[in-house]
Amino acid sequence: MRFKKLLFILSIISFVTRISAQTWVVPDDQKAVVAPVKFTADMQKQGEQQYLKNCQSCHGLMGKDNWAKLTPPPGDLSKEKAQVQTDGELFYRITAGKVPMPEFRNILTEDDRWSVIAYLRTFNPKYIQPTPVAKAAFTGRIVTLALEYSDPMKKIVVTASEQLKDGQTGLAAGVEIMLFVKRYFGRMQVGEIKTTNAQGKALFEFPADLPGNKDGFVEISAMVNDPKSVMKTTPANASFAIGIKTDKPGLTETRAWWSTRDHAPIWIILTYTLSVIIVWGFIIYIVYSIMKIKKLSREV
Amino acid sequence: MTMDDNKLTFDKLTSDLTHHIRINKGFLIWMGFLTISLFICLYAYTIQLRTGLGVAGIRDYVTWGMYLANFVFFVAASLIGMLVSAVLGLIGMKWITPITRIAETIAVAFAAVAGLVIVSDMGRPERLAYVFIYGRPQSPILWDVTVITTYFVLSLLLLFLPLIADMAIIHRKVDNLPSWLKPVYKSLSLNFTDNPQQNKIINRSIRILLILLIPAALSIHTVTSWLFAVTSRAGWDSTVFGPYFVSGAFVAGSAAVIIAMFFFRKNYKLQDYLTDVHFNNMGKVLATVSLVYLYFNINEFLVPGYKLKRADAVHLQELFAGKDAILFWLIQVGGLLLPILFMLFRRFRKPLPIMLISVAVLIAAWFKRYLIVVPTQEHPFLPIQHVPQNFMHYSPTLIETLITIAPFIMVLIIITLISKFFPVIPLHDKKKKKGIDHIKFD
Ligand code: HEC
Repeated sequence: MRFKKLLFILSIISFVTRISAQTWVVPDDQKAVVAPVKFTADMQKQGEQQYLKNCQSCHGLMGKDNWAKLTPPPGDLSKEKAQVQTDGELFYRITAGKVPMPEFRNILTEDDRWSVIAYLRTFNPKYIQPTPVAKAAFTGRIVTLALEYSDPMKKIVVTASEQLKDGQTGLAAGVEIMLFVKRYFGRMQVGEIKTTNAQGKALFEFPADLPGNKDGFVEISAMVNDPKSVMKTTPANASFAIGIKTDKPGLTETRAWWSTRDHAPIWIILTYTLSVIIVWGFIIYIVYSIMKIKKLSREV
Repeated sequence: MTMDDNKLTFDKLTSDLTHHIRINKGFLIWMGFLTISLFICLYAYTIQLRTGLGVAGIRDYVTWGMYLANFVFFVAASLIGMLVSAVLGLIGMKWITPITRIAETIAVAFAAVAGLVIVSDMGRPERLAYVFIYGRPQSPILWDVTVITTYFVLSLLLLFLPLIADMAIIHRKVDNLPSWLKPVYKSLSLNFTDNPQQNKIINRSIRILLILLIPAALSIHTVTSWLFAVTSRAGWDSTVFGPYFVSGAFVAGSAAVIIAMFFFRKNYKLQDYLTDVHFNNMGKVLATVSLVYLYFNINEFLVPGYKLKRADAVHLQELFAGKDAILFWLIQVGGLLLPILFMLFRRFRKPLPIMLISVAVLIAAWFKRYLIVVPTQEHPFLPIQHVPQNFMHYSPTLIETLITIAPFIMVLIIITLISKFFPVIPLHDKKKKKGIDHIKFD
C-alpha cells in the first residue's frame, strides 16, 4: 500500500519536473529583486520608447493583443499572465531571454530594462511598486584601458589603469586583455588573451598580413576579459596604420550584375534599351500603318 | 480543299462564320455565371487587400505559392499564339489558318491576365509602378514585365490586323447584327475596302509581327524561367530551365487550343471548318511538343538525380517518394506519358478523345508548375530557428484558392467575348482561298 503511494507521488514529481523543464523558471532570489529607484513618469516615457524599439515587433502594441505568431507565443504583456509576475521576474526574463525571446543583457542597460518595466506597469492599475532598494556601492575593480602602437617593438601595447581605494589612479596588473580588429560584420580577435604585467601592460603582436583601409589604417579595440562581470571596465579604441594598404572599391561601387541600378553593367543597359527601342519602334510603326489604312479607303 | 468546301457559297460562308454573333440566352447565362463567380473571387481579393498577404498560405519559407505557379501557367499558356501563328504559319502549314485566331485569342487572354496574376502576389499592389521606376536593368523581374507587356501588345495587334477585313465584311453583309454592334464594327473596320494598298499594309504588318513574335515569346517564357533558374535552389538551379519552360508552355498552350477548338466547333456549329483533320493535326502537334517536354523532364530529373547533391537529394526524394510523390507521378504519368502514348494512335486524335486528353494535359500542366514552384521552398538552405509549423508546410487557404481561380474566370470571359463578337475563323482569309478574291464593297 505504502509502496503504491510512493510510486504515485514519484510519478507526479516526474510529471511536474518534466513540465517545468519546458516552462521558463525564474530562480527565487531573482524573483525577489526590486527596482533600485522609484518609477517616474520620465522612466515610463523612456521605457515606452525602448518598448516600441525592441519589443513591439514580437509582443505587439500594449493591450492590442497583436503579438507576432511565434511558438511559444510572446503574448500581450499588459495581460494578467505577465502582470502577476514580480518586477524581479520580469527583469530576469528580459535580461536572460529564452529562445525565441532575445536576451537583452547586452542590448539594454539595467536602467533601460527597469524603464521598460516601469512602462509595462502603467497598464496595470492594481500595481503598487515595492519599496526600491538602491544597489550596494560597487566594491570591485574599476579598470580603464589605453592603446598605443610601439614602432620600435612592432607591437600593440595595452595599458590598464585602475581607480585605487584612495581615489588615486594606478597601473592594473593581472587583468586579462582581449584585442580585436574591426572587419566586415563585426570584430576579429587578434592573438590570445593576455594578462597585464606588473606595469599594467600587455603586448600584442599584430599579424603582418591583415588588410587595412587605403592608408593602411586598421581599427583596434582592447577589452577586459571579465565574463562574470565582477569589474567595471572601459575598453579602448584606436586606429593605427599597421595594416596592408588596400584600395578595393566596395561591392556595389563598381558596375556589376549584383550592383545597384546606377551601377548596372553598360552592356546590359545597352542590350535592354536597344531591344526595347527596336521592338517598340516596330510596334509604333505598325500602329501608325494601321491608322493609314483608314485614309487609304478614299483613294480607290 | 475538301469537296464540301467547294460547295460553300459566298453567303453561306459568311453566315456560317458569323451566325453566332448575337446575344442569346445561352450566352447570357454563361456570362452571368462567369460574372458572379468573378465577383465572389474578387471579394476574396478585397479581403487580401485589406488584411494583407497573411490571408494566403504563403509564409517566410514558401513565399512563392499558388499565385506564382498560376503566373507561370498563364505565361505558358499564352505562348501558343507564337507556336501556331508564327512558327507553323511562317513555315507555310496551310491547315493552321482556321486555328490562328483561336490561338491568338488564347494568347491575348492569358497574356493580359498574367500581369494581374502577379499583382495578386503583391502585398502593396499600388507600388506596381515601382518596378519600372526603380527597376534594375540587371534584374530578370524588370525583363519579365517588359517582355510580357510587349508580347501582349504584339499578340493584340496580331489578333486585330486580320480582323479589320472581317469587320468590313460583317458590318456590310451581315444583317441580323444587334443594332448597337454595327457602329462598333464599322469603326473597327477602319473603312477597309479591300484595296491593294490597304492589303499590302496589313500583310506587311502581319509579317513583321509574326517575326517579332518569335523572339518575344521565347523571351517571355525564358525570362520567367530565369526568375527561378538564377537562384541556386535545388530544382531551380538548372541550365536547361529556359527550353524546359518553353517546351512545357507549348504543351499547355496546344492543349488549351484543342479544348477551345472543340467547344467553338460544337457551340458555334463550325464542323465544316474545324474538321477532324485539324484535330488530328493539332493532336500531332501536341504529341510532338509533349515528347520534347518529356525529353527535358528526363534531363531535369536524371542529371541532378545522378549527382545527388545534398539539397537535390532532399528535393527529388520529396518528389519521387515523399510528400509530393502522388501528385508528381499523377502529373508525369497521367499528364505526360499516357497522353503521349494515346496520341500516337489516330483514333485518339479524333475531336472528343483529343479534347479529353488535352483537359488532362492542361490540368497536369497547372499542377506541374505548382510542383516546380513550391516544394523546394519548404527546404531552405538556411532554415530559421523555431519557426511555426505553417512556415515549413505550405497549405493554400480558401481565400488564396479563390484569388487563384479569378484569373481563369477572367480568361474565360475574354475568350468568350472575343469569340462571341468576332468570327472564330478568319473570314476574309477563307474567302480568298475560295477564289473570291475581291469582295464587292459599296
Ligand atoms: C523575437 C521576439 C521577441 C522580442 C523582440 C521580445 N520578446 Fe519577449 N517574449 C517572446 C516570446 C516568444 C516569449 C515567450 C517565451 C516563452 O514563453 O517561452 C516572450 C516572453 C516574454 C516575457 C514573459 C511573458 C510571460 O507571460 O511570462 C516578458 C516579460 C517579455 N517577453 C518581455 C519582453 C520585453 C520587455 C521585450 C523588449 C525589450 C521583449 N520581450 C522582446 C518574444 C520576444
